[in-house]
Amino acid sequence: MAMLKPIPGISSASATDMAVLKPVTVATPGSASDINFSRFVSDLPWWTLPALAAIFMMWPIAAYAQSTFTMADATSALIRWLPFLVFQGFVFNILISVTTMALGTIAGVVLGLMQVSPNRMIAQPAWLITQTFRNSPWLVLLFIVMLAFPFKIEIGSLTIQIPDWIKAVIGLSLPIMANISEVVRGAIASVPSGQWEAAESLAYSRQQTLWRIILPQCFKRMIPPWMNWYAILTMATPLVSLLGVEEIVTLSQQAMAAENSRPELLVPFYGFCLVIFFAYCYPIARWTIALERKYTVKL
Amino acid sequence: MLKKSLKLGIATGVALATAATAATAAQCSNDTWKKVMAAGKLVVGVKADYKPWGFRDPSGKLIGMEADMAQDVADAMGVELEMVPVQSSNRMQFLEQGKIDLMIATMSDREDRRKIVGIVGPNYYTSGTNVMSPKAVGIKKWDDLKDKPVCGKQGAFYNKIVTERYGAKVIAFTGNAEAKQALRDKKCVAWVYDDSSIMSDLSSGEYNDFEMPLNSEDDNPWGLAVPLAEKNCVFGNFMSGMQYNWLSSGRLIELEKKWGIQPTKFLADKKELYKDWLAK
Repeated sequence: MAMLKPIPGISSASATDMAVLKPVTVATPGSASDINFSRFVSDLPWWTLPALAAIFMMWPIAAYAQSTFTMADATSALIRWLPFLVFQGFVFNILISVTTMALGTIAGVVLGLMQVSPNRMIAQPAWLITQTFRNSPWLVLLFIVMLAFPFKIEIGSLTIQIPDWIKAVIGLSLPIMANISEVVRGAIASVPSGQWEAAESLAYSRQQTLWRIILPQCFKRMIPPWMNWYAILTMATPLVSLLGVEEIVTLSQQAMAAENSRPELLVPFYGFCLVIFFAYCYPIARWTIALERKYTVKL
Repeated sequence: MLKKSLKLGIATGVALATAATAATAAQCSNDTWKKVMAAGKLVVGVKADYKPWGFRDPSGKLIGMEADMAQDVADAMGVELEMVPVQSSNRMQFLEQGKIDLMIATMSDREDRRKIVGIVGPNYYTSGTNVMSPKAVGIKKWDDLKDKPVCGKQGAFYNKIVTERYGAKVIAFTGNAEAKQALRDKKCVAWVYDDSSIMSDLSSGEYNDFEMPLNSEDDNPWGLAVPLAEKNCVFGNFMSGMQYNWLSSGRLIELEKKWGIQPTKFLADKKELYKDWLAK
Protein backbone atom coordinates (compact mmCIF):
# COMPACT_ATOMS: atom_id res chain seq x y z
CA MET A 1 0.00 0.00 0.00
CA ALA A 2 1.32 3.36 -0.95
CA MET A 3 2.07 5.83 1.82
CA LEU A 4 -0.35 8.68 2.13
CA LYS A 5 1.04 11.80 0.63
CA PRO A 6 1.94 14.19 3.46
CA ILE A 7 -0.08 17.36 3.55
CA PRO A 8 2.24 20.36 3.75
CA GLY A 9 1.44 22.58 6.65
CA ILE A 10 -0.46 19.84 8.49
CA SER A 11 1.61 16.70 8.79
CA SER A 12 4.89 18.44 8.03
CA ALA A 13 6.23 21.97 7.94
CA SER A 14 5.04 23.85 4.92
CA ALA A 15 7.64 24.27 2.24
CA THR A 16 6.23 27.53 0.94
CA ASP A 17 5.53 30.97 2.21
CA MET A 18 2.02 30.84 0.78
CA ALA A 19 -0.92 31.27 3.08
CA VAL A 20 -1.18 27.80 4.49
CA LEU A 21 -2.04 26.49 7.91
CA LYS A 22 1.18 26.34 9.83
CA PRO A 23 1.82 23.45 12.20
CA VAL A 24 1.96 24.42 15.85
CA THR A 25 5.60 24.37 16.81
CA VAL A 26 6.54 23.98 20.41
CA ALA A 27 10.13 24.45 21.47
CA THR A 28 11.44 21.06 22.54
CA PRO A 29 12.31 20.98 26.22
CA GLY A 30 16.02 21.45 26.75
CA SER A 31 16.55 22.91 23.34
CA ALA A 32 19.32 25.45 23.27
CA SER A 33 17.22 28.11 21.71
CA ASP A 34 14.41 28.19 24.22
CA ILE A 35 14.65 31.13 26.53
CA ASN A 36 12.85 29.91 29.64
CA PHE A 37 15.40 31.47 31.93
CA SER A 38 14.85 34.96 30.57
CA ARG A 39 11.11 34.38 30.50
CA PHE A 40 11.08 33.42 34.16
CA VAL A 41 13.21 36.37 35.22
CA SER A 42 11.35 38.91 33.12
CA ASP A 43 7.99 37.70 34.45
CA LEU A 44 8.97 38.67 37.98
CA PRO A 45 7.37 41.97 38.99
CA TRP A 46 9.49 45.10 39.19
CA TRP A 47 9.34 45.22 42.98
CA THR A 48 11.17 41.89 43.35
CA LEU A 49 14.49 43.69 43.61
CA PRO A 50 13.60 46.15 46.41
CA ALA A 51 11.76 43.35 48.20
CA LEU A 52 14.80 41.05 48.06
CA ALA A 53 17.09 43.84 49.23
CA ALA A 54 14.79 44.64 52.14
CA ILE A 55 14.60 41.00 53.24
CA PHE A 56 18.36 40.60 53.28
CA MET A 57 18.92 43.81 55.17
CA MET A 58 16.31 42.93 57.81
CA TRP A 59 17.71 39.44 58.30
CA PRO A 60 20.07 40.14 61.22
CA ILE A 61 17.29 41.47 63.46
CA ALA A 62 14.95 38.66 62.58
CA ALA A 63 17.50 35.91 63.09
CA TYR A 64 19.39 37.22 66.08
CA ALA A 65 17.08 39.39 68.09
CA GLN A 66 19.11 38.47 71.17
CA SER A 67 22.49 39.22 69.61
CA THR A 68 24.46 42.37 70.36
CA PHE A 69 25.00 42.74 66.63
CA THR A 70 22.31 45.02 65.26
CA MET A 71 20.91 45.70 61.84
CA ALA A 72 22.69 49.04 61.87
CA ASP A 73 26.02 47.24 62.37
CA ALA A 74 25.32 44.89 59.47
CA THR A 75 24.22 47.73 57.23
CA SER A 76 27.23 49.86 58.01
CA ALA A 77 29.53 46.88 57.43
CA LEU A 78 27.93 46.25 54.05
CA ILE A 79 28.08 49.92 53.06
CA ARG A 80 31.74 50.06 54.08
CA TRP A 81 32.56 47.16 51.76
CA LEU A 82 30.15 48.03 48.98
CA PRO A 83 32.54 49.92 46.68
CA PHE A 84 35.16 47.19 47.04
CA LEU A 85 32.68 44.39 46.33
CA VAL A 86 31.19 46.16 43.35
CA PHE A 87 34.23 47.65 41.66
CA GLN A 88 36.78 44.95 42.35
CA GLY A 89 34.37 42.05 42.56
CA PHE A 90 31.28 42.41 40.45
CA VAL A 91 32.99 44.35 37.68
CA PHE A 92 35.36 41.41 37.40
CA ASN A 93 32.39 39.02 37.08
CA ILE A 94 31.13 41.17 34.23
CA LEU A 95 34.57 41.11 32.63
CA ILE A 96 34.66 37.30 32.89
CA SER A 97 31.16 37.00 31.44
CA VAL A 98 31.85 39.35 28.52
CA THR A 99 35.18 37.71 27.64
CA THR A 100 33.68 34.24 27.93
CA MET A 101 30.71 35.23 25.77
CA ALA A 102 32.99 36.69 23.08
CA LEU A 103 35.15 33.58 23.02
CA GLY A 104 32.21 31.20 23.23
CA THR A 105 30.29 33.00 20.49
CA ILE A 106 33.16 32.95 18.01
CA ALA A 107 33.83 29.27 18.62
CA GLY A 108 30.12 28.48 18.76
CA VAL A 109 29.31 30.12 15.43
CA VAL A 110 32.10 28.18 13.73
CA LEU A 111 30.92 24.95 15.34
CA GLY A 112 27.29 25.67 14.46
CA LEU A 113 28.13 26.27 10.79
CA MET A 114 30.13 23.05 10.79
CA GLN A 115 27.05 21.26 12.13
CA VAL A 116 24.97 22.26 9.10
CA SER A 117 27.67 21.31 6.63
CA PRO A 118 26.53 18.81 3.96
CA ASN A 119 29.88 17.08 4.45
CA ARG A 120 29.36 14.41 7.09
CA MET A 121 33.05 14.34 7.94
CA ILE A 122 32.62 17.89 9.19
CA ALA A 123 29.08 17.78 10.51
CA GLN A 124 29.37 14.68 12.67
CA PRO A 125 32.43 15.65 14.73
CA ALA A 126 30.87 19.10 15.18
CA TRP A 127 27.66 17.47 16.40
CA LEU A 128 29.62 15.28 18.82
CA ILE A 129 31.60 18.20 20.25
CA THR A 130 28.42 20.23 20.64
CA GLN A 131 26.55 17.47 22.45
CA THR A 132 29.50 16.62 24.69
CA PHE A 133 30.01 20.14 25.98
CA ARG A 134 26.32 20.98 26.12
CA ASN A 135 25.64 18.05 28.38
CA SER A 136 28.62 18.24 30.73
CA PRO A 137 28.40 19.91 34.14
CA TRP A 138 30.00 23.35 33.96
CA LEU A 139 31.95 22.92 37.15
CA VAL A 140 33.51 19.70 35.89
CA LEU A 141 34.62 21.42 32.67
CA LEU A 142 36.07 24.25 34.76
CA PHE A 143 38.06 21.87 36.94
CA ILE A 144 39.41 20.01 33.93
CA VAL A 145 40.59 23.20 32.23
CA MET A 146 42.03 24.58 35.47
CA LEU A 147 44.07 21.45 36.09
CA ALA A 148 44.93 20.48 32.54
CA PHE A 149 46.14 23.86 31.30
CA PRO A 150 49.66 24.99 32.15
CA PHE A 151 50.03 28.09 34.31
CA LYS A 152 52.62 29.45 31.92
CA ILE A 153 53.64 28.93 28.31
CA GLU A 154 57.24 29.15 27.24
CA ILE A 155 57.93 30.09 23.65
CA GLY A 156 61.67 30.20 23.29
CA SER A 157 62.87 32.65 25.91
CA LEU A 158 59.48 34.29 26.21
CA THR A 159 57.39 33.19 29.17
CA ILE A 160 53.70 33.98 29.16
CA GLN A 161 51.93 33.59 32.49
CA ILE A 162 48.33 32.44 32.21
CA PRO A 163 46.36 33.88 35.11
CA ASP A 164 43.71 31.69 36.70
CA TRP A 165 40.87 33.87 35.51
CA ILE A 166 41.89 33.36 31.86
CA LYS A 167 41.72 29.63 32.44
CA ALA A 168 38.30 30.10 34.03
CA VAL A 169 37.19 32.02 30.94
CA ILE A 170 38.34 29.16 28.71
CA GLY A 171 36.58 26.63 30.93
CA LEU A 172 33.30 28.54 30.93
CA SER A 173 33.40 29.27 27.22
CA LEU A 174 33.27 25.54 26.38
CA PRO A 175 29.62 25.02 27.38
CA ILE A 176 28.75 28.45 25.96
CA MET A 177 30.38 27.46 22.67
CA ALA A 178 28.33 24.27 22.50
CA ASN A 179 25.06 26.03 23.30
CA ILE A 180 25.69 28.83 20.82
CA SER A 181 26.49 26.15 18.26
CA GLU A 182 23.00 24.72 18.81
CA VAL A 183 21.48 28.21 18.61
CA VAL A 184 23.13 28.74 15.22
CA ARG A 185 22.12 25.32 13.96
CA GLY A 186 18.57 25.82 15.16
CA ALA A 187 18.31 29.29 13.61
CA ILE A 188 19.52 28.03 10.24
CA ALA A 189 17.08 25.11 10.40
CA SER A 190 14.24 27.49 11.22
CA VAL A 191 14.55 29.36 7.92
CA PRO A 192 11.88 27.93 5.60
CA SER A 193 13.39 25.55 3.08
CA GLY A 194 11.74 27.52 0.30
CA GLN A 195 14.46 30.09 0.75
CA TRP A 196 17.11 27.49 -0.09
CA GLU A 197 15.16 26.28 -3.08
CA ALA A 198 14.53 29.78 -4.38
CA ALA A 199 18.21 30.62 -4.05
CA GLU A 200 19.16 27.45 -5.85
CA SER A 201 16.82 28.28 -8.72
CA LEU A 202 18.55 31.64 -9.00
CA ALA A 203 21.89 29.82 -9.39
CA TYR A 204 23.30 30.81 -6.02
CA SER A 205 26.01 28.48 -4.78
CA ARG A 206 25.57 26.91 -1.35
CA GLN A 207 28.08 29.30 0.16
CA GLN A 208 26.37 32.33 -1.38
CA THR A 209 22.97 31.14 -0.21
CA LEU A 210 24.24 30.68 3.32
CA TRP A 211 26.02 34.01 3.62
CA ARG A 212 23.71 36.24 1.59
CA ILE A 213 20.27 34.80 2.19
CA ILE A 214 20.06 32.46 5.16
CA LEU A 215 22.42 33.95 7.76
CA PRO A 216 21.10 37.55 7.50
CA GLN A 217 17.67 36.14 8.37
CA CYS A 218 19.08 34.00 11.17
CA PHE A 219 20.85 36.86 12.83
CA LYS A 220 17.73 38.41 14.32
CA ARG A 221 16.42 35.05 15.47
CA MET A 222 19.65 34.28 17.25
CA ILE A 223 19.75 37.44 19.33
CA PRO A 224 17.15 36.46 22.00
CA PRO A 225 18.60 33.00 22.74
CA TRP A 226 22.10 34.46 22.63
CA MET A 227 21.18 37.06 25.23
CA ASN A 228 19.47 34.37 27.26
CA TRP A 229 22.73 32.43 27.36
CA TYR A 230 24.60 35.55 28.34
CA ALA A 231 22.31 36.02 31.36
CA ILE A 232 22.73 32.36 32.36
CA LEU A 233 26.49 32.66 32.01
CA THR A 234 26.64 35.80 34.13
CA MET A 235 24.72 34.00 36.87
CA ALA A 236 27.22 31.13 36.63
CA THR A 237 30.38 33.23 36.99
CA PRO A 238 30.54 32.83 40.81
CA LEU A 239 31.43 29.17 40.09
CA VAL A 240 34.98 30.35 39.48
CA SER A 241 35.28 31.36 43.14
CA LEU A 242 35.61 27.63 43.88
CA LEU A 243 38.84 27.70 41.89
CA GLY A 244 40.31 30.62 43.83
CA VAL A 245 39.62 33.30 41.23
CA GLU A 246 38.92 36.56 43.04
CA GLU A 247 35.44 37.63 42.09
CA ILE A 248 32.47 38.92 44.07
CA VAL A 249 31.83 35.77 46.11
CA THR A 250 35.51 35.29 47.02
CA LEU A 251 35.80 38.95 47.97
CA SER A 252 32.59 38.79 50.02
CA GLN A 253 34.10 35.95 51.99
CA GLN A 254 37.26 37.97 52.55
CA ALA A 255 35.21 40.99 53.60
CA MET A 256 33.30 38.88 56.11
CA ALA A 257 36.60 37.52 57.45
CA ALA A 258 37.81 41.11 57.93
CA GLU A 259 34.59 41.79 59.86
CA ASN A 260 35.51 39.07 62.38
CA SER A 261 33.60 36.35 60.50
CA ARG A 262 30.30 37.27 62.14
CA PRO A 263 27.65 34.75 61.10
CA GLU A 264 25.10 37.60 61.10
CA LEU A 265 26.80 38.98 58.01
CA LEU A 266 26.28 35.88 55.88
CA VAL A 267 22.76 36.70 54.75
CA PRO A 268 23.32 40.44 54.08
CA PHE A 269 26.58 39.82 52.18
CA TYR A 270 25.49 36.84 50.10
CA GLY A 271 22.10 38.52 49.72
CA PHE A 272 23.83 41.54 48.28
CA CYS A 273 25.51 39.30 45.68
CA LEU A 274 22.11 37.95 44.71
CA VAL A 275 20.58 41.41 44.49
CA ILE A 276 23.36 42.79 42.31
CA PHE A 277 23.21 39.82 39.92
CA PHE A 278 19.47 40.20 39.75
CA ALA A 279 19.74 43.94 39.11
CA TYR A 280 22.10 43.23 36.22
CA CYS A 281 20.20 40.32 34.67
CA TYR A 282 16.64 41.61 35.07
CA PRO A 283 16.86 44.34 32.37
CA ILE A 284 18.66 41.89 30.08
CA ALA A 285 15.87 39.36 30.52
CA ARG A 286 13.16 41.99 29.88
CA TRP A 287 14.97 43.13 26.78
CA THR A 288 15.45 39.55 25.56
CA ILE A 289 11.74 38.85 25.84
CA ALA A 290 10.85 42.14 24.14
CA LEU A 291 13.18 41.33 21.23
CA GLU A 292 11.84 37.81 21.00
CA ARG A 293 8.29 39.12 20.73
CA LYS A 294 9.33 41.64 18.13
CA TYR A 295 11.10 39.09 15.95
CA THR A 296 8.64 36.19 16.15
CA VAL A 297 5.88 38.21 14.53
CA LYS A 298 7.93 38.64 11.40
CA LEU A 299 8.52 34.93 10.83
CA MET B 1 76.92 -9.72 25.92
CA LEU B 2 73.82 -7.70 25.29
CA LYS B 3 72.65 -8.28 28.83
CA LYS B 4 75.97 -7.18 30.21
CA SER B 5 76.08 -3.94 28.26
CA LEU B 6 72.46 -3.26 29.23
CA LYS B 7 73.34 -3.69 32.91
CA LEU B 8 76.31 -1.44 32.49
CA GLY B 9 74.14 1.11 30.77
CA ILE B 10 71.61 1.11 33.58
CA ALA B 11 74.33 1.41 36.19
CA THR B 12 75.86 4.37 34.38
CA GLY B 13 72.46 5.95 34.03
CA VAL B 14 71.73 5.61 37.73
CA ALA B 15 75.15 6.96 38.64
CA LEU B 16 74.67 9.93 36.33
CA ALA B 17 71.22 10.64 37.72
CA THR B 18 72.51 10.54 41.30
CA ALA B 19 75.36 12.85 40.40
CA ALA B 20 72.92 15.25 38.75
CA THR B 21 70.67 15.45 41.82
CA ALA B 22 73.63 15.94 44.11
CA ALA B 23 74.93 18.70 41.90
CA THR B 24 71.63 20.66 41.91
CA ALA B 25 71.39 20.34 45.66
CA ALA B 26 74.89 21.59 46.19
CA GLN B 27 74.98 24.51 43.84
CA CYS B 28 72.78 27.51 44.23
CA SER B 29 71.44 29.21 41.18
CA ASN B 30 69.64 31.82 43.32
CA ASP B 31 67.16 32.35 40.49
CA THR B 32 64.38 33.81 42.61
CA TRP B 33 66.69 36.09 44.55
CA LYS B 34 68.31 37.39 41.36
CA LYS B 35 64.93 37.85 39.71
CA VAL B 36 63.63 39.89 42.64
CA MET B 37 66.71 42.08 42.77
CA ALA B 38 66.72 42.61 39.00
CA ALA B 39 63.01 43.44 38.84
CA GLY B 40 63.12 45.53 42.00
CA LYS B 41 59.92 43.89 43.14
CA LEU B 42 59.22 41.19 45.69
CA VAL B 43 55.98 39.23 45.34
CA VAL B 44 54.76 37.86 48.66
CA GLY B 45 51.79 35.56 49.13
CA VAL B 46 49.71 36.46 52.19
CA LYS B 47 46.27 35.48 53.42
CA ALA B 48 43.28 37.65 52.62
CA ASP B 49 40.79 35.94 54.90
CA TYR B 50 42.68 35.42 58.14
CA LYS B 51 42.26 38.34 60.45
CA PRO B 52 44.44 39.73 61.96
CA TRP B 53 47.38 38.11 60.16
CA GLY B 54 46.32 38.76 56.61
CA PHE B 55 43.06 40.40 55.60
CA ARG B 56 41.68 43.29 53.58
CA ASP B 57 40.70 46.79 54.53
CA PRO B 58 37.54 48.16 52.89
CA SER B 59 39.61 49.67 50.07
CA GLY B 60 40.81 46.18 49.18
CA LYS B 61 44.37 46.64 50.43
CA LEU B 62 45.95 43.64 52.12
CA ILE B 63 46.85 44.42 55.72
CA GLY B 64 47.65 42.58 58.91
CA MET B 65 50.57 41.29 60.90
CA GLU B 66 51.98 39.18 58.08
CA ALA B 67 51.48 41.99 55.57
CA ASP B 68 53.64 44.17 57.84
CA MET B 69 56.25 41.42 57.98
CA ALA B 70 56.25 41.23 54.17
CA GLN B 71 56.84 45.00 54.09
CA ASP B 72 59.80 44.59 56.46
CA VAL B 73 61.33 42.01 54.12
CA ALA B 74 60.89 44.22 51.05
CA ASP B 75 62.35 47.19 52.91
CA ALA B 76 65.39 45.16 53.96
CA MET B 77 65.95 44.05 50.37
CA GLY B 78 65.38 47.57 49.10
CA VAL B 79 62.71 46.52 46.64
CA GLU B 80 59.06 47.25 46.10
CA LEU B 81 56.45 44.98 47.63
CA GLU B 82 53.59 43.32 45.84
CA MET B 83 51.21 41.19 47.86
CA VAL B 84 49.19 38.39 46.32
CA PRO B 85 46.28 36.86 48.22
CA VAL B 86 46.69 33.12 48.72
CA GLN B 87 44.48 30.46 50.23
CA SER B 88 45.45 27.48 52.35
CA SER B 89 44.66 25.24 49.42
CA ASN B 90 46.86 26.98 46.85
CA ARG B 91 49.65 28.74 48.77
CA MET B 92 52.28 26.03 48.21
CA GLN B 93 51.40 25.65 44.53
CA PHE B 94 51.74 29.40 44.01
CA LEU B 95 55.27 29.25 45.42
CA GLU B 96 56.19 26.18 43.38
CA GLN B 97 54.86 27.77 40.20
CA GLY B 98 56.74 30.99 40.79
CA LYS B 99 53.59 33.12 41.08
CA ILE B 100 54.99 34.32 44.40
CA ASP B 101 58.60 34.61 45.58
CA LEU B 102 57.93 34.28 49.28
CA MET B 103 55.03 32.97 51.32
CA ILE B 104 54.07 34.29 54.74
CA ALA B 105 50.60 32.83 55.08
CA THR B 106 49.83 31.44 58.55
CA MET B 107 51.20 28.08 57.49
CA SER B 108 51.93 25.48 60.14
CA ASP B 109 55.38 24.02 59.74
CA ARG B 110 54.77 20.34 58.95
CA GLU B 111 57.11 17.64 57.75
CA ASP B 112 55.17 16.89 54.55
CA ARG B 113 55.13 20.58 53.64
CA ARG B 114 58.91 20.85 54.00
CA LYS B 115 59.23 18.47 51.06
CA ILE B 116 57.33 20.88 48.83
CA VAL B 117 58.46 24.35 49.87
CA GLY B 118 61.56 25.75 51.53
CA ILE B 119 60.47 26.44 55.11
CA VAL B 120 63.35 28.11 56.97
CA GLY B 121 63.83 28.56 60.72
CA PRO B 122 63.54 29.94 63.30
CA ASN B 123 59.73 29.75 63.27
CA TYR B 124 58.15 33.14 63.78
CA TYR B 125 54.93 32.16 65.51
CA THR B 126 53.02 29.26 66.92
CA SER B 127 49.45 28.32 67.61
CA GLY B 128 47.57 25.43 69.07
CA THR B 129 44.36 23.70 68.13
CA ASN B 130 41.28 24.02 70.28
CA VAL B 131 37.52 23.98 69.92
CA MET B 132 34.74 26.44 70.61
CA SER B 133 31.67 24.68 71.87
CA PRO B 134 28.33 25.64 73.44
CA LYS B 135 28.50 25.48 77.22
CA ALA B 136 25.31 23.40 77.15
CA VAL B 137 27.06 20.57 75.31
CA GLY B 138 29.54 20.21 78.17
CA ILE B 139 32.56 18.88 76.36
CA LYS B 140 35.31 18.03 78.86
CA LYS B 141 37.98 16.18 76.91
CA TRP B 142 39.02 15.65 73.30
CA ASP B 143 37.62 12.11 73.32
CA ASP B 144 34.13 13.57 73.83
CA LEU B 145 34.26 14.54 70.14
CA LYS B 146 34.24 10.92 69.01
CA ASP B 147 31.68 10.31 66.25
CA LYS B 148 30.27 13.80 66.77
CA PRO B 149 30.01 16.35 63.97
CA VAL B 150 32.67 19.06 64.33
CA CYS B 151 32.84 22.17 62.13
CA GLY B 152 36.12 23.32 60.67
CA LYS B 153 37.68 25.37 57.93
CA GLN B 154 38.83 23.87 54.65
CA GLY B 155 42.58 23.50 54.30
CA ALA B 156 43.44 23.37 58.01
CA PHE B 157 45.80 20.52 58.80
CA TYR B 158 44.19 19.76 62.15
CA ASN B 159 40.94 18.69 60.51
CA LYS B 160 42.71 15.45 59.68
CA ILE B 161 44.24 15.10 63.13
CA VAL B 162 40.93 15.59 64.91
CA THR B 163 39.40 12.99 62.62
CA GLU B 164 42.17 10.44 62.95
CA ARG B 165 43.07 10.88 66.59
CA TYR B 166 39.68 11.49 68.14
CA GLY B 167 37.28 10.07 65.59
CA ALA B 168 35.39 13.33 65.16
CA LYS B 169 33.37 13.84 61.98
CA VAL B 170 34.73 17.06 60.54
CA ILE B 171 32.50 19.21 58.33
CA ALA B 172 34.80 21.73 56.64
CA PHE B 173 33.48 25.08 55.40
CA THR B 174 35.03 27.63 53.06
CA GLY B 175 34.86 30.44 55.58
CA ASN B 176 34.79 30.92 59.33
CA ALA B 177 31.51 32.81 59.17
CA GLU B 178 29.87 29.75 57.62
CA ALA B 179 31.46 27.46 60.19
CA LYS B 180 30.31 29.61 63.12
CA GLN B 181 26.82 29.86 61.66
CA ALA B 182 26.71 26.07 61.47
CA LEU B 183 27.83 25.91 65.10
CA ARG B 184 25.01 28.24 66.12
CA ASP B 185 22.56 26.25 64.05
CA LYS B 186 23.64 23.17 66.04
CA LYS B 187 24.85 21.33 62.97
CA CYS B 188 27.96 20.49 64.94
CA VAL B 189 28.92 20.23 68.60
CA ALA B 190 32.12 22.22 68.28
CA TRP B 191 34.17 24.39 65.95
CA VAL B 192 37.82 23.39 65.66
CA TYR B 193 40.27 26.22 64.99
CA ASP B 194 43.30 28.15 66.24
CA ASP B 195 43.20 28.76 69.98
CA SER B 196 44.15 32.44 69.63
CA SER B 197 41.28 33.15 67.21
CA ILE B 198 38.79 31.37 69.43
CA MET B 199 40.05 33.34 72.41
CA SER B 200 39.49 36.66 70.66
CA ASP B 201 35.96 35.64 69.63
CA LEU B 202 35.11 34.62 73.18
CA SER B 203 36.43 37.89 74.56
CA SER B 204 34.25 39.87 72.13
CA GLY B 205 31.20 39.20 74.31
CA GLU B 206 29.11 37.84 71.47
CA TYR B 207 29.70 34.21 72.31
CA ASN B 208 28.69 34.18 75.95
CA ASP B 209 26.99 30.80 75.66
CA PHE B 210 30.17 29.27 74.29
CA GLU B 211 33.43 28.13 75.83
CA MET B 212 36.87 26.81 74.96
CA PRO B 213 36.79 23.76 77.21
CA LEU B 214 39.85 21.76 76.13
CA ASN B 215 43.60 22.03 76.53
CA SER B 216 45.16 23.29 73.33
CA GLU B 217 46.85 20.55 71.37
CA ASP B 218 49.48 20.33 68.69
CA ASP B 219 51.15 23.57 69.53
CA ASN B 220 52.54 23.96 66.06
CA PRO B 221 55.11 26.52 64.95
CA TRP B 222 54.34 28.53 61.83
CA GLY B 223 56.76 28.72 58.97
CA LEU B 224 57.33 31.14 56.15
CA ALA B 225 58.66 29.65 52.95
CA VAL B 226 60.89 30.39 49.99
CA PRO B 227 61.05 28.19 46.87
CA LEU B 228 62.54 24.80 47.79
CA ALA B 229 65.60 25.32 45.57
CA GLU B 230 66.47 28.52 47.44
CA LYS B 231 66.15 27.06 50.92
CA ASN B 232 69.86 26.71 51.63
CA CYS B 233 70.88 29.56 49.38
CA VAL B 234 70.84 33.34 49.62
CA PHE B 235 67.09 33.79 49.92
CA GLY B 236 66.57 31.07 52.53
CA ASN B 237 69.47 32.25 54.66
CA PHE B 238 68.32 35.83 54.36
CA MET B 239 64.83 34.91 55.58
CA SER B 240 66.33 33.00 58.52
CA GLY B 241 68.14 36.21 59.40
CA MET B 242 64.96 38.24 59.08
CA GLN B 243 63.14 35.91 61.44
CA TYR B 244 66.00 35.90 63.94
CA ASN B 245 65.97 39.69 64.01
CA TRP B 246 62.18 39.90 64.30
CA LEU B 247 62.30 37.58 67.29
CA SER B 248 65.30 39.05 69.08
CA SER B 249 64.35 42.69 68.57
CA GLY B 250 60.80 42.22 69.81
CA ARG B 251 59.41 43.48 66.50
CA LEU B 252 56.87 40.67 66.39
CA ILE B 253 55.69 41.44 69.93
CA GLU B 254 55.20 45.01 68.76
CA LEU B 255 53.18 43.82 65.74
CA GLU B 256 51.18 41.45 67.92
CA LYS B 257 50.15 44.45 70.03
CA LYS B 258 49.42 46.59 66.96
CA TRP B 259 47.00 44.01 65.56
CA GLY B 260 45.34 43.22 68.88
CA ILE B 261 46.57 39.66 69.17
CA GLN B 262 46.77 38.26 72.69
CA PRO B 263 50.45 38.30 73.73
CA THR B 264 51.92 34.84 73.40
CA LYS B 265 54.48 33.19 75.62
CA PHE B 266 56.20 31.91 72.50
CA LEU B 267 57.33 35.36 71.35
CA ALA B 268 58.35 36.44 74.86
CA ASP B 269 60.44 33.27 75.27
CA LYS B 270 62.10 33.70 71.89
CA LYS B 271 63.00 37.29 72.65
CA GLU B 272 64.66 36.09 75.84
CA LEU B 273 66.39 33.22 74.02
CA TYR B 274 67.86 35.33 71.24
CA LYS B 275 68.68 38.41 73.31
CA ASP B 276 71.96 40.15 72.67
CA TRP B 277 74.44 39.05 75.37
CA LEU B 278 76.06 42.50 75.38
CA ALA B 279 72.81 44.41 75.75
CA LYS B 280 72.08 45.78 79.19
